[in-house]
Order: sequence, then C-alpha cells, then structure tokens
Amino acid sequence: MYKLRLKFYKKDDMVFISHLDLIRLFERAFRRSGIPISYTQGFNPRPIMAFATALGIGVSSDSEYMDIEIEDKMDVIDLITKLNEVLPTGIKALEGKYIDKKEKSLMSIINFSSYTVDITFNNEITRDNLENKLKEFLGLNEIIDKKYKKRRNKRKSNKDEFREVNIRQNIKEITIINTDINRALLKMILAAGSSANLKPEIVIEKFKDYMKLDIDTTKTRVHRTGLFTTITPEYLGPLDIVNTEDK
Amino acid sequence: MNKISIENLLYNVEKPARYLGNELNSVHKEVHDKTIRYAFCFPDIYEIGMSHLGMKIMYYLLNNIDDIYCERVFAPAVDMEEEMKKHGIPLFGLESRQAITDFDFIGFTLQYELSYTNVINMLKLANVPIYSKDRNEEHPLVIFGGPCSYNSEPIADFADIIVLGEAEEVQIEIINLYREHIAKGYNKDLFLKSVAKIEGVYVPSFYEVKYNKDGTINSITPKIDDIPAKIKKRIIEDLDNAFYPEKVIVPYLDIVHDRVVLEIFRGCIRGCRFCQAGIVYRPVREKSPTRLSNLAQALLSSTGYEEISLSSLSTSDYSQLQEFVEKLIEKYSDDKIGISLPSLRLDNFSLELIKEIQKVRKTGLTFAPEAGSQRLRDVINKGLTEEDLINATEKAFASGWNNVKIYFMIGLPTETTEDLLGIKDLAFKVADIYYKTPKDQRGKGLNITVSTSTFIPKPFTPFQWEPQIKLEEIYKRQNLLKEEIKHRNITYNYHDAKTSYIEAVFARGDRKLSKALELAVDMGCKFDGWDEYFDFDRWMEIFEKTNIDPEFYVSRKREYDEVLPWDHIDVGINKEFLIRENEKAKKAEITPNCRANCSACGINQSFVGGIC
Repeated sequence: MYKLRLKFYKKDDMVFISHLDLIRLFERAFRRSGIPISYTQGFNPRPIMAFATALGIGVSSDSEYMDIEIEDKMDVIDLITKLNEVLPTGIKALEGKYIDKKEKSLMSIINFSSYTVDITFNNEITRDNLENKLKEFLGLNEIIDKKYKKRRNKRKSNKDEFREVNIRQNIKEITIINTDINRALLKMILAAGSSANLKPEIVIEKFKDYMKLDIDTTKTRVHRTGLFTTITPEYLGPLDIVNTEDK
Repeated sequence: MNKISIENLLYNVEKPARYLGNELNSVHKEVHDKTIRYAFCFPDIYEIGMSHLGMKIMYYLLNNIDDIYCERVFAPAVDMEEEMKKHGIPLFGLESRQAITDFDFIGFTLQYELSYTNVINMLKLANVPIYSKDRNEEHPLVIFGGPCSYNSEPIADFADIIVLGEAEEVQIEIINLYREHIAKGYNKDLFLKSVAKIEGVYVPSFYEVKYNKDGTINSITPKIDDIPAKIKKRIIEDLDNAFYPEKVIVPYLDIVHDRVVLEIFRGCIRGCRFCQAGIVYRPVREKSPTRLSNLAQALLSSTGYEEISLSSLSTSDYSQLQEFVEKLIEKYSDDKIGISLPSLRLDNFSLELIKEIQKVRKTGLTFAPEAGSQRLRDVINKGLTEEDLINATEKAFASGWNNVKIYFMIGLPTETTEDLLGIKDLAFKVADIYYKTPKDQRGKGLNITVSTSTFIPKPFTPFQWEPQIKLEEIYKRQNLLKEEIKHRNITYNYHDAKTSYIEAVFARGDRKLSKALELAVDMGCKFDGWDEYFDFDRWMEIFEKTNIDPEFYVSRKREYDEVLPWDHIDVGINKEFLIRENEKAKKAEITPNCRANCSACGINQSFVGGIC
C-alpha cells in the first residue's frame, strides 16, 4: 500500500457542490479512472481518502489537498493525468507526492489558510476610508462571535444557547488588494484546521457590524489561495513539509 | 434563445448543485433552427426525479436522435422558486439554461397524484398557459405520461397529449409525426387530430365527457371521427432488444436511489388486488442475463457507481435470478461493488442469495406482508403465509441481521379489529424469534420498524369500486395500533391519513377536478407529497370553493355498472377479470400467480398472442 498527497483546485460551477458531494465525486472518479485505490475494511468498503479541510458551498479554492492510498505504485504524473481525464471541469489535480505512511494526517497539520474575499457595499467607498476602517478593526482586542450550541433536548429549553468566542487572534492578516466603486477585494490570512478555524464570511460579518459598514453580505465571494502549516518565517504547505518516500 | 445567468441565485439557495445541469454523462447539444427541443419534466425536486428510471431511459433515447435535444427539468425547490421569481427567471432546461417557454415539447411524468399541483405550477413558472385550450401554435405541446396517466382525467384538461403505457416507441412516433407537420407548416389542431390516431396516444380534448345528475359519468365519447373510442396502452414487446441506456447521469448530490439501476423485467405475475402496477404493467417480459450482464458492465464503467440494483416489481420472480446474481457477485466483488435486490418476496426468498450479497455490502431487510392476518392477506391475494415470514426472519436473525422493517396497509376492504391486531401479533412474533435465536448467531440489539400506510383504491385494480375508509376511522385504527404496539424493540410509524385522502380524491377523480387543481395552485399548493408543504385545510377550502364533494371520490362505493372515469382507457385487462377478482376477495379466495395458472385477465388476447 502506498500513500500519496495530492493538491487540486475547485472552482467555477464546482463551488456549488458540498464537501460530501466532493468525496462521492472523487470515489467515483477513482473507480472510473482505473487507479488502484485502496479500500477500507468492513461492511461498506470505501476508497481510502482524507481531505485537509471541508470547503463551504460557494467557496472556490486553488489549494485543496487530499491523501489517498493505492495498492500498486504508479508514476505520479500518470496518476494525475488519469485522474484529470475523469474529473469534471472545475476540479483538477495539480501536483502530488508519495508520502510516508506514518506521515501525520492532513487535517492535523493545517494551521492557516489564505483567501481573497470580494465584498460588495450598498454605497460607494474610497480606498482610504476602507483602509482606516480596517486599521481600526484590526486594532480591536476583542472581536466577539456568538457560536450557537446544539441543544440536546429541544423540550427542556427554549432559550438559544450560545458561547462567545473572541476571534481576534484567529485573524492573522487582512489587507486591501484593490477597490472599485462599491466593491473591495481583500486578502486574508486566517486560522484554519482542527485547533482553530475561522471563516472569511464571519470576519466580513464582524467587520460590517463593528465598523457599521453597509456591506451586502449576500454578495460576499470567497476564494482560497493557500493552506499552510506555518506562515513564519516562511509559508509552508502540506506538500512542502513531507518526507517523500523515494528519498 | 439566451442562456440565463443563474450563478448569483445559486449562492442564495440550498443545494445549488440541483441546478447545475453539467453532471457526468449529461448531454449538451448545439441548437440549430431545426433542433426539436424537449423538456422532460419531473414534478418534484431533483433528488426524487433523478432517481426515476423512466427519465433516464427517455433522456438517452431522445438524445440519441440527432435533431432532438432533451433536457431535464425538475420542480425548483421553494427557495429557488422564490429567487427565480424575484429575478424574473422562467423555468429553464438544466442543460442549456434556456427558458422552456419556447421549447417544442414539455413532457411531464405523472408518478403520483400529489405531484399534480407541481405540474401546473411548473407550467406557470415556464410562462406557458396551463390549459390546453389556451395554448396555440406559439406554445410547446404539453405531454403527460407515466403510471397516473391511466387515469389522468383530473389533470387531462391541462394536457395536449397523454401517452398511455410504455413510451419508448410511441414517443418517437409522436416526434416523427411532429417533424413532418413542422416541415409542411404546423397547425396544432391538425397535428393533434393526426397524432390521436397513433396507438397509445390519448388527446383528451377530442373526447367528450357527459355526466348524470348524481355527478357520475354517463358517457365518454370521441368528438371527431377516426379516433378510437377506447384508447389502448402501448407496450414494448421485445424488451430484451429494447433501448436501454449504457450510461446514466451521475449526480453530485446524494439522490434517493444513487446507484446503477438495471431493469430486469416488466410486469408482474402476482396480481395483488390492491396493486395498480401489478395490473397495468402486464404482461411479464424479461430481459436476458446476457443482455443484462453487458448493460451492467457498460453502466458501471461509465459511472463509477459502487452499487447496482436489480429493479422490477417483484425481483425474486425473475426466472434466472440466482444464476444472474451469482455471476454479478463473482464479477464485481473485487471492485467492492454492492448488489441490491429491492422488492424481494418472502415465499421464494432466497436467504442464501442475500447472504452472498452481504459479503460485499450490508443492507437492511424489508418485508411487506401488507396485512396482519392470513384471512386479509388472502383477501388482497398477497399469497404469503405467516410461516413464510417466520422462516425468513428465523434465517435472517441467525445470519446476523438485527434491523427489520415490516410494511402493512390499513383500511383494506373487509378489515376488522382482529386483522389489525394481527399486525401487532406478527411484529411481536418476529421479536420473539430474535430472542430465541442463539446469542452467538444473532446481531446485537434488535430493531423492528412497523410501518402502516393507508389503503387507497386505485383504477384498474379489483378494488377500484371500493370506498376508502373515512378519516376518523383511519385515526381510530392508527391509534389502536399505537396503543397496542408497545415493545422496546418495535417502533410503529404510520403515514399521514390526510395526504392519503387527497391522493384518493385524485386517484379516481374525473375532469371536474381540474378547476380544483387550478385554484389549488393559485392558492399556493405545491409539493403536496411533502409534509412540510401539505395543507389539508386549504385543500378542503378549495373543494368547498369549487363545489366539489371530496367524499364523492373517496368514500363512495361504485357499482359494477357505473361508467368509471377511466373506462375509455384499455390497459388490456378485462373488466370481468377485475370484477371476478373483487368477488373472490370478498370470499378471501386466492388466485394463483400467472406462471402457476392463467386466470384469463385478457392481456394475452389483446397484447400478446396466446400465452404470456
């Protein structure tokens, strides 16, 4: 059994399929491709695949990762070519590496994600003004997000239970790429992964609320540009940090 | 025609993947002046419609013809409908994202009566006049087909053409005729007059319905010459060589039946007296194992599906089931492809076969005795004994199953409290069998689900003359079972009686109901098959406003000499046979299956020569 790490993109119409849909899509694509994917044991055998993160519906990405296991070793380029032949437009494997079987799971090594976020205001904006608002926003020590808890017993309590989380430390960077009449394109680096995870949509909502901005949040469009294990001193992604088996 | 931009809508709706239209194996064609555009509409959401076998067959059958472009259309979910209305977007074909308003044909498959409001709502969303009489040469031809078209009278005023029976051949004949008419200058009336002569085609506007004073039908007669007084359904005689797709669309979403579906035969040898499918799909025609093997191979490799389902009305009646399933297992178990066998009967239930299948993938176990007592099972001609069920469950528990679903109907003709208690007894016996099974053999933790639905008398069944029991009576019987079935391993589910009531109105309805359907859609009825949208009180208000007494359709016993709304439709079965069966039901006499003994239903005289 051999373990492989693949990087792929998800964009265009494919942003509208959910993470579960994506898993099914890959399972069937592997079957059609003839790539000798390994299966789980048990009553319902499934191809062995593990993803870095679950991308929300509507979010595009240049930088998604998955680990797979295959039964027979094959050339990485061949495998990517075979896979891309059966993947739909909008999803494409970009690169891959064989990795050690003992390599830590993708999910556990992701700590940061970078995004470009397209936001639309209901009014015209100026770059200077937005720059000031952003500065003020990032100067806050506390940015509180209310997370709703799932209630175990619906009958017992009618109150919405929620806990308050300060999301400030999960925002690593926000900068303005450009502005155009009532729109702005932002770059964000946010905490991502299993220990802390912050969605750009939440940041925009908070930015709107705290700074009293007239943002039409239904028009926010998010694009992931990278997933990283570390961002200082350098940006390292899931394919940069692994020991390749071939060494 | 312009491509509609829907991207911005997709960010605002649930499950936007329903509307993408570019799934694997979907067909996209270039449109020319002469392209015949066909919208195949399924009047429910994507996940339901995409599970429908008929649509898969027709989609590829039509698209295999160069100048026909068939696209899929489903009922947009309520949130999408709102978005579409807000942005002024009409109903569009999924593949081209173009409005179906100017298509040549809009076809609907009528799978269940509670989707009728969706049919009309979809015509409205397409900006097409809903009544046939209000549509002219500028509008698409609206065609209905599917099982409900055997009594499509309640919705007949909305259709230009209704296709009776299996559509593979007749649909092509209709389009060929249309192509000829287009070439010489298309006139809707002339076309309809000509198409009405094709066997299996019913043009409702050419038939006049006269009523008696009491609201029953006096006569249904052709208004023009040269069209049949009785319209005969169509069947595919040689099913083995009939068209079947070698690829199917693989959805992104998890649809209801998300697997390769292999149709192994049509028709049913059984003749359960409540079952419309068992009558209207006669005669039985099987596909050969060779053809099926080839199809399985093609379908699996073109889709990458991990499961294949053998589909029919009663899978265990396929004459070479054992050999065929074994062959499939042998061929595909290495690829971890599961095989599912829905609609297995208990009496020839081959547990060994199921055990074989489970080696690859484990599925649940479902039994449908339909009635709780032997007497009542004989009344409905279910031909299944308690011993069958006991034997099957004994073996199943000993092989490690612990999840069993058992289906029953309540309100069957002649049902008594004793029959109802039989449901409880049977469920409790099944539980006892589990506890008698040695601990090392049985699975841990028993789960029995008993589900009851309400019996709805359907056209072309021996029970077509029988009343449905009153609502209060249904509640009484459901409550009795709720009280009686108290067991830590048994869950009792029952179907909402009110939806069954509305279904019963339309199942045996006539053309007087079209005005109720029109008003229902105006008043916002849609997705009536969905509990969250179904509004019984609103339906009652609609009936009152349109002067319709629903009880006339639901709980009235018809006499044998009454003209029924579907009497001008010929499904190849004699009325005498249905009467004979109804009389036998009253005496709890069973009729053997077609292979054991021909009971002269008439199908072999009108459709197949001699023997079935």
